Amino acid sequence: MKNTIRVQRAIKDITQADLAAQVNVSRQTINTIEGNIYVPSTVLALKIARVFGLPVEELFILEERD
Amino acid sequence: MRQPRLFPHWARYLGYFCILVHIPIMWLRHMDAFGHSSATAPDDHSLFNRDHLFFIVTFLLMVVGLILVAFSKEKIEDEQISRLRLDSLQWAIYLNYLILIITLIATDKVNNHFILAIDTWIPLVFFIVRFRWVIFRLNQPLKTDNPS
Repeated sequence: MKNTIRVQRAIKDITQADLAAQVNVSRQTINTIEGNIYVPSTVLALKIARVFGLPVEELFILEERD
Repeated sequence: MRQPRLFPHWARYLGYFCILVHIPIMWLRHMDAFGHSSATAPDDHSLFNRDHLFFIVTFLLMVVGLILVAFSKEKIEDEQISRLRLDSLQWAIYLNYLILIITLIATDKVNNHFILAIDTWIPLVFFIVRFRWVIFRLNQPLKTDNPS
């Protein structure tokens, strides 16, 4: 599963640390999600989507192998 | 989300303290053992003789130390940390049973103390090393990147 968090952060002009603070996780977790190393839970995905004011499907996109 | 039952973050430092206290005690005991074969009189067969009490105290010190280090909260305890914790625990159990099986197959007379030592130290020590190593690796890109 890929995601567009890095792009959305750039649009909204917020850092990984800002986003991490808003969804109550570590910066390390945001970094690994952006790098497609870690797939977040539904709860965390919904929280991140809420920060950007976007539906989850616009942030997280399923790939062929998923 | 349900939070895992963990000790507070400061308990980790208490755990390190217990482990650090345990090491010189065992070292001194080991040195002392060269002079005296046993601290207990040869005819003392009671359950709580001096040797056994010493064993209980040092064993508890080490085990409690390892448990506190292993199962204390991180500064930010989020879902990724919970996942890493679970993964590391699974690997520790695999390794523990692998070594136990190899020991049972490769030796004909298994020493109970050896089995106890394997079952006590290996899962916790391997868990701590693996867990901390993965966190360290995941933190490396953050140290080189800028905060964005």
